[in-house]
Amino acid sequence: MGSVEEISKFNEQKHEFLDEYGPNLKTLPVTDQVKELQTIIRDRNTTRSDFKFYADRLIRLVIEESLNQLPFTKCVITTPTGSYYNGLKYERGNCGVSIVRSGEAMEQGLRDCCRSIRIGKILVESDADTHEARVVYARFPEDIAARKVLLMYPIMSTGNTVIKSVTVLMEHNVLEENIILSNLFCTPFAAKSIISAFPQMTILTSEVHPVAPNHFGQKYFGTD
Amino acid sequence: MAAMLQQFDPPSSASSESDAEENEIKEIISADDEEKRSGHFFDATPPPSPRPPSAGSQKSPRSRRQRTTSMTMTQSKVTASVSVLRSHTRTIYTAGRPPWYNTAGQQAEPFVIGICGGSASGKTTVATKIIEALNIPWVTLLSMDSFYKVLNEKQHLLADQNEYNFDHPDAFDFDLLKETLGRLKEGKKVEVPIYNFCTHSRENRTKTMYGANVIIFEGILAFYKAEILKVLDMKVFVDTDADIRLARRLNRDICQRGRDLDGVLKQYLTFVKPAFQHYIAPTMVHADIIVPRGGDNTVAIELIVHHVHTQLSLRGFKVREELAHLFTGQPLPRSLHMLPETPQIKGLHTFIRNKDTQRDEFIFYSKRLIRLVIEFALSLLPFKDSMVDTPQGVPYQGKRCASHKICGVSILRAGETMEQAVCDVCKDIRIGKILIQTNITTGEPELYYLRLPKDIKDYKVILMDATVATGAAAMMAIRVLLDHDVPEKNILVVSLLMAESGVHTIAYAFPQVQIVTSAVDPEINEKFYVLPGIGNFGDRYFGTEPAEEKLPVSEPPKKIPINLPGMYIQLRVLW
Repeated sequence: MGSVEEISKFNEQKHEFLDEYGPNLKTLPVTDQVKELQTIIRDRNTTRSDFKFYADRLIRLVIEESLNQLPFTKCVITTPTGSYYNGLKYERGNCGVSIVRSGEAMEQGLRDCCRSIRIGKILVESDADTHEARVVYARFPEDIAARKVLLMYPIMSTGNTVIKSVTVLMEHNVLEENIILSNLFCTPFAAKSIISAFPQMTILTSEVHPVAPNHFGQKYFGTD
Repeated sequence: MAAMLQQFDPPSSASSESDAEENEIKEIISADDEEKRSGHFFDATPPPSPRPPSAGSQKSPRSRRQRTTSMTMTQSKVTASVSVLRSHTRTIYTAGRPPWYNTAGQQAEPFVIGICGGSASGKTTVATKIIEALNIPWVTLLSMDSFYKVLNEKQHLLADQNEYNFDHPDAFDFDLLKETLGRLKEGKKVEVPIYNFCTHSRENRTKTMYGANVIIFEGILAFYKAEILKVLDMKVFVDTDADIRLARRLNRDICQRGRDLDGVLKQYLTFVKPAFQHYIAPTMVHADIIVPRGGDNTVAIELIVHHVHTQLSLRGFKVREELAHLFTGQPLPRSLHMLPETPQIKGLHTFIRNKDTQRDEFIFYSKRLIRLVIEFALSLLPFKDSMVDTPQGVPYQGKRCASHKICGVSILRAGETMEQAVCDVCKDIRIGKILIQTNITTGEPELYYLRLPKDIKDYKVILMDATVATGAAAMMAIRVLLDHDVPEKNILVVSLLMAESGVHTIAYAFPQVQIVTSAVDPEINEKFYVLPGIGNFGDRYFGTEPAEEKLPVSEPPKKIPINLPGMYIQLRVLW
């Protein structure tokens, strides 16, 4: 659990967050390690190979943390030594949905944790002039309404794209409280507008910071 | 057919030992290659020097059994570099090393035996017999031959004409010898020079030797210097009749090394014999035991061995049993860093602890857990503030890791399962390996194999083992790192599961070592498995469980009867 100071520091930050954004915005525990990953991703001098390497690491951490938001039940199993262990069991019926294109960067991270999970996709384009988001393509598992949905999108600066995507999901009868948004970088503006739009949705991010690293998708996929 | 049947044998618990043998074989091969390339291999060019290279000191400079020897050729093929000694009654594997420190992790001093005696008196035979009879796995044999001084051109010329005195004390570098022996006695790693008898200089490469429970130091002038005498715990003088020694020399130099009678005799009379009378024979007064007739004297060797055994048991080399029960019910130490117990981690534990989990799933979920543990461990390294420019034009106040030199060291075999994760999170990281196996008869951990990055003392070391029960193996590995001058605070022990007693043991012995794990279990059973535990992690991961626990093979093997005259054999077909 780290040192006592680390925990209290973490709890303090947690309280500030609770006051400002409510209980459904969660962040990764801010360790120096996570901070380093964020620094490398934000650094303009990072090479593309490094960028992808460290972005994948951060994604993996965010995905692992997002999975913590999924429901589980208690169970008792027998270990090879013949003893009992009080464990936890995950419930079935989850799926991932990535928002094209940058959300797809997070698919591999999810696959690395859940080998055979179903993954849907949404393509949202924003109008260059009005910044209004428009759904171009959406394809989900058929029974998505009965599933918990891990919505993946790494960078949020206005939150418009995500708001649009969640609306589409809800049109497919997904319950708002069954959506968990996995995100790497989020601006306070986006956080607030999403929370006010969907107060029941869980948001998991690694950092809330006024400047969003908008170059993420381009650098990750090498189209810059 | 034999090979096929062998292949089908259920993997036994000894399979990990065969890993070690494979390594051994590889190392020997590579060493042989080196010798061929450098072109001074003993067989190829008979050197003209009076004390020509011993096969032992040149062979396998990088072999796992690190010791220098000056064995004569007839013996050396068997004993010099191969880690198996065969005496008439039993076979001794001199590879694994039992703990050389006490329960507090502090170095227990090795026992140093000095063997002195005239040229061809049988010092090496006595040394070998002692090693055989001691039946202690980790013995270092250091020969004075490694410490000949580098000759200048003039001396080199003299040597070629049999006119350089190799038996005089001035021929040896006593300062280096003293330093080397001193470090070995402290259990530290040393680089022993490899002396080339053709060029009469030291080779660029050295032989790494690493402390032992027993160090045998032999040489014609082993007792010559007072400061070296002080280091020796037991002094043995091999007193063989001068006629026999001359006869052996003649036999060795003429029959085996192709030199001429005149040259050998000239050298013997001008240097070897006077040196014995002036410098070697007088040192006999320092000896605790004088062994007449050398290696044939079994009574003397038994006496020596008995004494060494008594001394070793006084120094406390039995560790694991004590460790298991040392600290119970104490608060966990501050150097322990446990991953926050999230539902995910608990869920992963549930998968890998369950005895009914299939290997495919076991591996998958172990890997996920390992990745989380490694990420967590990295977050404990020191970081420094760093300001970076962003493409958005706003500087960002971030952090970067303060040390770029990080390396991983895995404790074979289970620790190797964590290597991939370390490589996945640290680009181009260097990985060292340590093989420690539990001796089935004593229950003690033994060190078998060691490969570490060259300048490991400058690195932060992530020491990996999948599970830590008593902490005995982890302690041994930490001790190895410390002996390679890695500062204690630069070591992180990282593991998936630890038993409480193991945590206490490590923390007590090495308070500055950071301990990282995802769960701490309360107990250890009599087989030193953690309870409730995971079982044998390595066996489950690599699929080498004992046969009765093996999963059923999907397709039952076909049985084809073959009729041979008078015999009926069943063959199992593998494909």
